Parts: sequence; C-alpha cells; structure tokens
Amino acid sequence: MESALVIGSGIAGMSSAVELAGKGVKVQLFSPFPSERSQSVMAAGGINAVLKGHEEGDSIASHIEDTLKGGRYIAGERAVRGLCEGAEDIIDHLEKIGTVFSVNESGRPDRRAFGGQSHKRTCYCGASTGKQIVSALIMEVRRFEAKGIIERKLWRFFHSALIKDGVCYGALLFNEITGKLEAYCADAVIIATGGQNKLFGKTTGSTQCDGYAAARLFMQGAKLKNLEFIQYHPTAMETYQKKMLISEAVRGEGGRLFYCEGENRVYFMEEKYGSGGNLMTRDVISREIDAVKKDVFLDISFLGRKEIERRIPEVKDTCLKYRGIDICNEPIPISPAVHFFMGGLAVHLNHETNIRNLFAIGECASMYHGANRLGGNSLLAAIYGGRVAAGEISGRRVERESINYADILEHENERLDMLRQSKSSFPVNYIRDMVADTMNRDLGIVRNREALERGISDIDYYLSVADRISYDSSVLMYANYSLKGILTLAKATLISAEFRKESRGSHFRSDYPKESKDYEASSIISYNDGKFDVCLDKESVYES
Amino acid sequence: MRVRILRQQTSLSESYWENFRVDVPKDMTVAGLLDHINFNDDIIDENGNKTTRIGWECSCLQGICGACAMVINDIPALACETFIKDLKKDEITIRPLRKFPVIHDLIVDRSVIHENLKKINLYIGEYHPVKAKNLKKAEKEHRQQYDVAKCLKCGICLEVCPNYVNGNSFFGALFANECYLVSSRNETEKKEILKNYEKHFGNTCSKSFSCMDLCPMKIQTIASVAGLNKNSFHN
Ligand SMILES: Cc1cc2nc3c(=O)[nH]c(=O)nc-3n(C[C@H](O)[C@H](O)[C@H](O)COP(=O)(O)OP(=O)(O)OC[C@H]3O[C@@H](n4cnc5c(N)ncnc54)[C@H](O)[C@@H]3O)c2cc1C
Repeated sequence: MESALVIGSGIAGMSSAVELAGKGVKVQLFSPFPSERSQSVMAAGGINAVLKGHEEGDSIASHIEDTLKGGRYIAGERAVRGLCEGAEDIIDHLEKIGTVFSVNESGRPDRRAFGGQSHKRTCYCGASTGKQIVSALIMEVRRFEAKGIIERKLWRFFHSALIKDGVCYGALLFNEITGKLEAYCADAVIIATGGQNKLFGKTTGSTQCDGYAAARLFMQGAKLKNLEFIQYHPTAMETYQKKMLISEAVRGEGGRLFYCEGENRVYFMEEKYGSGGNLMTRDVISREIDAVKKDVFLDISFLGRKEIERRIPEVKDTCLKYRGIDICNEPIPISPAVHFFMGGLAVHLNHETNIRNLFAIGECASMYHGANRLGGNSLLAAIYGGRVAAGEISGRRVERESINYADILEHENERLDMLRQSKSSFPVNYIRDMVADTMNRDLGIVRNREALERGISDIDYYLSVADRISYDSSVLMYANYSLKGILTLAKATLISAEFRKESRGSHFRSDYPKESKDYEASSIISYNDGKFDVCLDKESVYES
Repeated sequence: MRVRILRQQTSLSESYWENFRVDVPKDMTVAGLLDHINFNDDIIDENGNKTTRIGWECSCLQGICGACAMVINDIPALACETFIKDLKKDEITIRPLRKFPVIHDLIVDRSVIHENLKKINLYIGEYHPVKAKNLKKAEKEHRQQYDVAKCLKCGICLEVCPNYVNGNSFFGALFANECYLVSSRNETEKKEILKNYEKHFGNTCSKSFSCMDLCPMKIQTIASVAGLNKNSFHN
C-alpha cells in the first residue's frame, strides 16, 4: 500500500508512522496536540525484553509464560510469542535512534525487576522511560517529515471513519482551529489513540485519553474486546487535580501498607500473605485495600533519608511537592486508581480490526495482555503493534476502490450544526462528570450484578438525553460531539463486565468470586443500531 | 481571593481581562484552581455575571508534559505545579504565554517550536556517541543527555528569553539543548549541527540564562552550550 493515516501520536502512533515511512508508505499523522503531551511520556518504570546477556535462567519462553500467566491465559499464545520474540529487536532499534537508556558497565540497557515477572528484564531510562522513548521517536518522525514522507497534522480530533461495505477508506477529522470537519482518504487507517481514562474522570494517566475513537468505531461496526479488564494501580496518591501514581518501586524497596486501628498500625498485607504481602500483584493488593474500607498508608520512612534520596528520589519529590508529605518522616496516604485498559478494539494478529484496512495499535487495541497486564509490557506492545500493522500495510496491494465521501461529509457537518444549535438543560460537562461517578461507583475493583445493572440503567438515561445536550461553545467542539460515543463505550464496558460471570485477573465479581473454565476466552462485544451483543471468542477468531 | 485572567475568545478576537472571586485551599495548584472555576454548570465572574468556561490545555497534570505552560503573576510556569501558597500576592493574574499566537484564552499555538527543529532537520538517526575521556566524564555526559531529552517543548525558555522574539532566526534554549543531544549521540552529525547552532543560537544568545531559572525540567542549558563549544574547538 502507498498511504496511511495514523491517528494518535503517542509511542504506538509514532512507531507505526516511522516504520511505514521507512518502507516508503506516505503517512499523515494526526493528533490534537504534539507527542510531548501524549500519555506515553508518563510511563516511568520501563519496557520488557529478554536481551542477550540476560539474567541466568531467563528466556523468551519465560517472558511468554509470565505474560500469559499475568493475563490469566486468555491472551493468544501466538500473539504473545511474537511480542516477546520481537522485544530484543525493538530495544536495539530504540538504542540505535538514540534513546537515552540507563546503561550497565558494557554500555547496554540496564535491566530492573518488575512486578509479576520471574526475572529482571525491564529495560529503563532512569525514572522517565516513556519520555525518553518519545523524545527519540519524535526525532525519527521529524527525519521523515523533513523528507516529506510523514506529514504531522495537529489540532485534529478523530471524528469518524469513512467506511463502506466493511472496508475503511479514510477518516473525518475535526479541525479545532478552523471549526470544520476535514475528510482524508488513504489506503489504510491506523488508530493509536490510547486508553479510555476519561470514562473514570481522575486516573493516573492523561486527560487526553477518552476512548472516543474506539467508541465511535464501535458504533460504526468495529468490535471491541475484553472491555471488562481494567487495571487498578493499588498505590495512587490523591491530589486536587488527579490520582498520582506512587511507583511500585516503593514496595520493591520494602514499603509497607497499613491502616490504623486506634493507636496501632495494622499491616494487613503482611498479616494475610506473610512477609511478601506488600509485593503481591496489583489486582490482589487493590482488592485488599478496597476491602479494608479505611484510609490506607504506605510507609517507607524506615529506610532513612539517605537511602530514600538515593533509591526513590522522584517519589520523595512528588509527595513533597503535591501533598507536602516528607516520606522520610511520614507515610503516604494511598488508594487504588484506574491505571490501564487491557480491553479495546478487537484486532487480528496483523492488528487489523474486523473492518478491512482499519488497524488499531497501542492501548486502544486489545491483544497481548489478556485479563491483566504486566508492568513494562504495554510500551513494548505499543511499539510492537505499530511495527506489525506497518509491516502488514506496506506489504499489501493497493485496492483501487474508493469512496465518495462528499455526502458523508455534508451529513456529518449538518449534524454538527444541529449540535451547535442545541440548547437543552443538560450541560455536556455535567453529563461527563456523572458518567465518571457512575463508572467509579458501579465498575469499581469489586463488581456485582446489582451494581452493574444500576450502572447500565444510569448510562441508558444519559444516552436518552445525549442528543439534547446544551451545546457549550466554551469547551472544545470535540468535547460536545464525543459525548454520545463515550456514553456508548461506558455502556459496552458495563455490559461486558456483567456478561463475564467469573473472576479473572483484574475483573473481580463478588457474586462469582472464582475463575471459571467456561469463561477462559476473550469477550467480544458488537453494536448494531443501539443493540449490544456480547460473546466469548472461543474459536479464537482474533487469534489469526 | 481574586483571580484575573486574560481571555480571548478566538485567535482573531480582542483580548480582555476577566476577574473571578474564588475560595480555594492554598495547597491547590493553579491547574486545580482553573478546574475549580470551570467545574460549575454556570461560570460567574466577580460581578455576578454569567460568563464562559476558561480555555486551557492539560494532559498529565503532574509536570511532565508541558501542556499547561502559562504566565502566572508575571512568571511563566506550568499551572499544574504552581501552588497558590507559593504565590506572593493575594491576587493571581493569569495570562497566556506572550510569544506565541493565542488560539483561545490560555491556549496558544506553539507549533513554531517543532517547525524550527524540523527546518534544521535535527535527528540522531544512528547512535554513534562521542567517546568520553574517562568514566566520570562519560557519566556526566550521559546525565546531561538524559536531562536534555526530558525537555517538554513547553516554550517557557522562549517566553523568558531576552533574545527570542518569534522564532524567525533565533531558536532559543530548547534548540541549543537539542543540538547538544543530537551531536553528543551521533558524532557524524556534529559539523552540520554546529553550523546551525551558531546561526540560530550561539551568535545571538546573550548568556543571561534566565531560561535555566524557569525550566520546569531544570535543564542546564549552560552545560549543553559548554558541550557544544567544546565540540567546536575540537573541530
Ligand atoms: C503513570 C503511568 C505510568 C506508566 N508506566 C508504564 C511503564 O513503566 N511501562 C509500560 O510498559 N507502560 C506504562 N504505562 C502505560 C503506557 O504508558 C501506555 O500504555 C502507552 O504509553 C500507551 O501508548 P499509546 O501510544 O497507545 O497511547 P498514548 O500515549 O496515550 O497516545 C495517544 C495519542 O492519541 C491522541 N488522541 C487521543 N484521542 C484522540 C482523538 N479523539 N483524536 C485524535 N487523536 C487522539 C493523543 O493526543 C495522543 O497523541 C504507564 C501509564 C501511566 C498512566
């Protein structure tokens, strides 16, 4: 193929753009804001890869097994194998383009231990792995921009895909500067718009990730997968503006979780799980904290100021800066927060969705993480997925069919005009806040039928008024037109969680607390004119 | 507390000041404050008149993406890490960065940053590091490269720079730092980079280094400049 649109310019979007450009495919790279603002810059911990000179006993097979096990055996083995086998080449490439890794004595990327993994295999760049990779990728994109192979287009928000008879021919993007919809056609479209944070309001991630692109494509016929699997990070610190991640490194350095009973501290994780209790997996700790129903704290003060400053300086600075807490003297108040979405657009091994020539990569796609993601695997998956999609697109023959988009553009413009004129009593921001309240209340760490059904009925109500919102000209047009998609995605997520009548990985149902063989497969949800259909992918359709 | 905000509805319209009365905790940041004003269904100014929501840009809300750079009490800073308690006056004035075109309220168009880097076509391409003389020097260089690659491209260094006007010829500290990063990680690019560095930074910078005082990432531009000068002597 000769041309592609890449929508979203985080690590996934940039990786695919660079890979496509390297193979001579012309790319238009869209995002509202530059890549420096993408959530990818927030990734701190690292990226997994079994490299030459790995820790004794480690192997690619072990990385595969850790990933499958972490995902509770519903991620496809072939996909995960490709991911883990491709990891070394990805690190080599990142090194080649100048990523400033933390290095060992021989100048190669150093590796650290990370939760849920049997060996030390997480390459890292100090405490800013994502940022360092983004910086290197931006330069690579720039190299191809200078050659005219990649064209970056800012201030554009995804609106919808141009689809006819199950084939994608391009996309409509809303230009916030001109206030107009623009149509772009290309041989293939790659969606790389990140996770669905905004469904939950405050999370550990970026405010730019709202899931709208996946939502709108769902309404246009794309299938979504495993939406019920949402990773909570057990240790986030609440501030006025967000839930700030407190790195796992604190527990890695011996940090202890406790709550207070009168004068006494109750180290509940150690009491229940023994000395390694504070290092249990993210989902177990999140559930235990949730069950405590009291303020929980994380203490590392016993390590002493010198060691804290040497080993976890960023955590010390963050706590001091945002909450005035000196972790050398006092514990950190923490609570679990939404952190990562295992679910998203359903894609085949080549990262194509069920709509021909429409691809999805990065956190907006669901592929490698099953029911739970290992820390350090999502940056890897974002880059790997980008490469796979690019490889597929560049190797495919151009189909000379096209679409007459003039009518679609006119129709969508008319709809936006109608929206601009709407003046009902439902402010768009108010509904967005209410959705977040509903999701946090009814799709929390522990779920049950009653809460999920209540959530669905609340969202149904918001959907019933979504066409009658009062248009707010002082927020982005995008915030107005994306509402219905976001509500639809919220409902699909609740339905998927209700459908899975078992507990697996990050999905825990108090009414079905056990993992069940009957559900050992991914869930797939589809949408047809207001109707939602969920099933299990028992035939592994999305494994091919 | 009184908050004065310089507003502008569109890139083409006139700017105007609007004042608000707010009662918020002092340990809140300016980002929290803007959220607080915007949260209500009706936004009311200090005279009790209904007004529109304030436009501002954010993403990470923890000082690592650079989206929310603005001028707060005359000092350019990230709203998400500027705390009300640290502001000296009882009145807060907020305005958009002055050296970039305004798009809406506090949202500005900083694309000139990227366009200038693109013009010079700065990229590492192939990792061929400059060999350091000894381990200590190598570690120092690595540290500087790591720090420089954390640049947010937020534009604060350009906003405070006495030499930066609109990016037509002088490209500012972020450009010097990028030149350093690329040339130190790919020796083969050095010559060409140094020429452009002199033209778009070295020859004009008056070395006030006010950029370093306000850089949210605390990037030591002076060390990048020293590194580049050292390189040019070697050539
Ligand atoms: C605090 C934190 C720490 C993390 N640490 C790690 C770690 O150590 N290791 C690891 O592997 N993973 C980590 N992750 C997860 C990882 O950062 C993400 O999964 C990954 O960066 C996702 O990359 P992406 O390119 O898919 O999406 P993003 O980086 O989120 O990029 C999405 C892009 O899409 C654009 N976009 C969004 N909506 C639209 C729209 N409607 N129209 C057009 N463009 C749009 C955005 O502007 C952006 O450019 C962490 C996450 C967080 C929040």
